[in-house]
Amino acid sequence: MVRVKSRYLLCEINVSDRSELLKLDDRAVARAVKAAVARTHGDYGSALCSMRFCVKYLNAHTGIVFLRFPKGCYKLLWSALPFITSIESRGQIISCFFNCLHVGGTIRTCQRFLIRYNTQQLHRMLPKCKNEEEKKQIQESILSCSLMGRNNEAFEDELESEEDGE
Amino acid sequence: MCSQAAENEMESRMKPDGEKTEPPGYQRVVLKNASPHHYLKVRLLLEDESTRVSAVELKRFIISCLRGLHGEVGAALEVDVLKYDEETLSALLRVHSRGLVKLWSSLTLQGSYQNQACAFRVLQRDAAYSRSRSRS
Repeated sequence: MVRVKSRYLLCEINVSDRSELLKLDDRAVARAVKAAVARTHGDYGSALCSMRFCVKYLNAHTGIVFLRFPKGCYKLLWSALPFITSIESRGQIISCFFNCLHVGGTIRTCQRFLIRYNTQQLHRMLPKCKNEEEKKQIQESILSCSLMGRNNEAFEDELESEEDGE
Repeated sequence: MCSQAAENEMESRMKPDGEKTEPPGYQRVVLKNASPHHYLKVRLLLEDESTRVSAVELKRFIISCLRGLHGEVGAALEVDVLKYDEETLSALLRVHSRGLVKLWSSLTLQGSYQNQACAFRVLQRDAAYSRSRSRS
């Protein structure tokens, strides 16, 4: 048996108001991506998109999405992502744009990258702390999400704390 | 063109020996550096043959074909109608080599023009303008 290969795009959804992220759901994101692909690449693109495209993971708190594309045509589908300017979810239009952070062959490599990326973000946030307590909290979360003692709980904690830090 | 001249020369050299050479059924063309454009000679077949299609309408139709199959990326391809004959509905198109496959596929898959069945027949494809003109 040969594995069917895919590419996972780790994207960040940027919105002006972060509370709007909570209104997103994965079907709305998938619909927006499909519509953008259909507009930029026509029937050919939407046919490619209907093959094995899916939204694997959506974190509505941080606005992180994993998109799965077939390996053969991910570049073509990727090129349509910058044309997404809004996502319609539950009757509301959320204006946003996609920022692709990483392209990986497996979900695991994407997750590893995401942990490293979030650690960097926390390091970047550390000097901006207003008081000691906040600083201590962030330092603790950096320690808990370091790659040495990585486990799923740490991953969750770190995502949570990033959100608190903002 | 050079290779063709060389072949003709060889044929003329071999004939005096009494050997009857077979006329070559094909011609081998080697391009040293690939040309940036490709030329397509197409003919539009329409269900109702009395329909008149002007050159502008043809160009618009070709762009709408491209937009249907390849979206805005396809519609942005540079396609030029170099020659067009309204009587026979045949046209000579020029396209960038990178867009050849997109143009050809969208022409082939187009099935209707103004609510009537239509088809594009690609008569000839060439990488050099001089050859596609001389063979017509």
